[in-house]
Amino acid sequence: MISHSSAAPEKRTEAPSFFSFFHPKKWFMAIGFLLVVLVFVVPVFRLVLLSVLEDGSWSAAHYSRILWEAATWTAVKNTLYAVAGSTVLSLALGVSMAWTMAYVNVRGKRWMQLFIFLPFIIPSYITTLAWIQFLGKSGPVFSLFGWAPNLYSMGGIIFLLGISHYPLVYLFTVDVFRKIPRELEEAAKTAGASRRHVLFKIVLPLALPGIAGGGLLAFLTNLDNFGIPAFLGIPANIRVLSTYIYEQIVGFGPSAFARAAVLSVLLGAIALAGTCVQGLLLKRSRVTETAPRDTLPRVYLTPIRQRMLEAGLWLFLALTSFVPFLVMGALSLIKAYGLPFRLENLSLKNYHYVFLEDAKTGSALWNSVSLAVLTMGICLVAGTALAYVRYRGGGLLPKWMELFVTIPYALPGTVLALCMIFAWMQPVPGWNPGLYGSVWILLIAYVTRFFVLQVRGSYTALLQVDPSMEEAARVSGAHGWVKWRRVLLPLLFPGLAGGALLVFLMVLTELTVSSLLWSTGSETIGVVIFNYEQAGYTTYSTAFASVLVLAILAGGLLFTAWGKWWERKVMKKQ
Amino acid sequence: MIQVDNITKQYGSFTALHEVDFSIRKGEFTAILGPSGCGKTTLLKLLAGFMEPSSGSIHMDGQLTASKNRLVPPEERNIGMVFQSFALWPHMTVYEHVAFPLRHHRHTREEWKEDIVARVQQVLRMVGLEPFFDRYPAELSGGQKQRVALARAIAPLPDVLLMDEPLSALDIELRMEMRTEIGRIHRETDASVVYVTHDQGEALAMADKIIVMNNGRIEQIGSPEDVYTRPQTAFVASFVGKCNLIKGQWRNQRFIPSAFPWETWPDIGVTESLKKQGLCPVRPEQWNVSGERGEGLKGTVLSVQYQGKEIHYIIEVENEKWTMHQSIFQPKYKIGDTISLSLKADEPVNAAAL
Repeated sequence: MISHSSAAPEKRTEAPSFFSFFHPKKWFMAIGFLLVVLVFVVPVFRLVLLSVLEDGSWSAAHYSRILWEAATWTAVKNTLYAVAGSTVLSLALGVSMAWTMAYVNVRGKRWMQLFIFLPFIIPSYITTLAWIQFLGKSGPVFSLFGWAPNLYSMGGIIFLLGISHYPLVYLFTVDVFRKIPRELEEAAKTAGASRRHVLFKIVLPLALPGIAGGGLLAFLTNLDNFGIPAFLGIPANIRVLSTYIYEQIVGFGPSAFARAAVLSVLLGAIALAGTCVQGLLLKRSRVTETAPRDTLPRVYLTPIRQRMLEAGLWLFLALTSFVPFLVMGALSLIKAYGLPFRLENLSLKNYHYVFLEDAKTGSALWNSVSLAVLTMGICLVAGTALAYVRYRGGGLLPKWMELFVTIPYALPGTVLALCMIFAWMQPVPGWNPGLYGSVWILLIAYVTRFFVLQVRGSYTALLQVDPSMEEAARVSGAHGWVKWRRVLLPLLFPGLAGGALLVFLMVLTELTVSSLLWSTGSETIGVVIFNYEQAGYTTYSTAFASVLVLAILAGGLLFTAWGKWWERKVMKKQ
Repeated sequence: MIQVDNITKQYGSFTALHEVDFSIRKGEFTAILGPSGCGKTTLLKLLAGFMEPSSGSIHMDGQLTASKNRLVPPEERNIGMVFQSFALWPHMTVYEHVAFPLRHHRHTREEWKEDIVARVQQVLRMVGLEPFFDRYPAELSGGQKQRVALARAIAPLPDVLLMDEPLSALDIELRMEMRTEIGRIHRETDASVVYVTHDQGEALAMADKIIVMNNGRIEQIGSPEDVYTRPQTAFVASFVGKCNLIKGQWRNQRFIPSAFPWETWPDIGVTESLKKQGLCPVRPEQWNVSGERGEGLKGTVLSVQYQGKEIHYIIEVENEKWTMHQSIFQPKYKIGDTISLSLKADEPVNAAAL
């Protein structure tokens, strides 16, 4: 037994203060911060810089030239129409669906949820392809009624943007509705309010921050979308900003890059402003985050009305998430475009061509899959590291880093692609490592764009693990690697894998960025489908797209099943 | 054995600990007692090494383990810890929980590392969990989870065992049982225990030494009896002893309450620091009560709470409200009754002297 007075003389002198200066952790942090700035922020600066330079000196000439052109304003006007119209459509569909799923006694909600998410995980250009088939000359609507609406129009663009992105609004608002305490409604009812009154005076005002947040997210996604206006708008000569930028770069011309840069700054500024407003709204709605979710229905319908509502919902879901894909799959089996859907016209000829004869398809599959795997791996390791630093609350630096990695995701894909060209064509002025024109620029662009998805996924996963899990491992003597392998990774795995799967899927089916950055030999799946469609080989593009949809569905189902298995076998949840 | 010198911990502009200073001897059971937010959990985290102090230092076994610029991380310290939420890993069995520190703890004895199975069995027998070795946390009851957490902490026989409100997640009967259990394990392992709690009953019952904390400062350090019967600050008097703090003046070892200057009370063991503040702490069980015509101050019964073995009264005396506990074997009073109060001045008598 040592008495406390005898312990005092044995004290060692404290380490000199310069020790903290050479602290390896601080160095790691500084290097990480520098990397984040170089990869995620500098490219955006170079884009802005290029738009205000002419022949090496400051000039607003590009801006004044472009802002004087009528074509610019047509594109801006089209963008506003398309984005505003589709956002209203997404909001209407998303909010009413969320309200119904949160409050009304409808059976089979789990299955309905699954079908609501389908248009979300299938890339929008494939949805567009499916709808083109569904409403096309050989589709079922035309053969039944002798008429079908023309999708190659502003209305078609708005419709497809709206139904592709309403799941976002739904996802955002359904929990907001569930978290509004039931007592507030009951209090209003006991005070004599009618059902309509309760909805407009209590529920909607409380849900407003959530609804507005979801609406802005839909707005941003609609603004960013390239596939739908490219598939539907370019043939109909309807240009929005994202396709206009694309045409500038693809068309080359003397000042193509400078012009595209100016347009990108315009589009990027709108998108970043939207993101900031959304961030503010989210902060306001955070009050309800701690409220418990109440999943029991609040509105009970009579059995007849309930059946009718259920039938209506299933009809809507089948129409938006199932039938078009079925039609696309069926039509991909037809020998030649335009032939009626009969047994003697069916064959696997298109699949044979796409997968066995056309060499581009094989290389695109290889490119997209290996890009997806590499991007996923890099994001998984580096993104989880950033999330962990952020989770451990290492001061201001990690917060800034998180903000910076969000920028490339908030920017529209066309804008980001342009940033990538400017930043990596000559990373240091005068030195061209040949990245632009090879598959490597795609890898860099994908990591830059989708990094934040993994950071968010890993951060959410970390938040769900109690800090004492890690602390218990540390006091038990577990060092860094043992702690991660034995304790943290098994607990975090489903969450990390969810984020990684999202990154994988996004890269696998990506079109916007690769449509600007691809070169011969580095085509991606999206680019090949887009090129088939542009060249008029509709049957080939549908065949490829059908296989892709099946692969995504199979992957999603496998992941869900695996997640359930993990919960039961590894986490021992009953 | 553990020497804490002038530790201050700041989070931004908030100071969680102000110049905390104390030492813990080897094998001692120390309770850190205080209300929530008093800094006791921060202090425990500093002792474990999860963060470094803003200033000051911590020495363990004479070695500097924490200061502003130097931190020996928890995985390199000779410690074990039991968490409030148990912190069991859902993907490991009871056996794996106990084997984990045996494999990785730096201070595990070589003979245990060589035969982990035997040591795990020994530890599980000590906490009475031998038949449950292949169960997962989800298949255990609250008390069993607590025992696993305890077994994991003591398996490598660390010098210091840190406990963060380990019983607060258990129901009351289990809590009483685990108090005895933890006491027994402390005696068997001979580790120094630092036990953080907000329950003064737990601290008084289990500890050799209590450190009472409030607002990031140490209020008093002493044995349970010391802290309970001779509080040095007003906070300790009311938090630990639930005392009525009566204002007045001390003159020649007698107390003159300022609200009733005609009374003088004898000294019932009040510390100098409280005398200087002009306070006389009276615990609820230190009152002598008699009926309306008895001796002493007159007061009115404001509320009566029947607790089974005793009755708690709130008495209003000249606009002050005092609490008073009476055995049920004494006369009972009703709300509105007038009663007479005086102090019990009897000295505690050692049972062996009778």
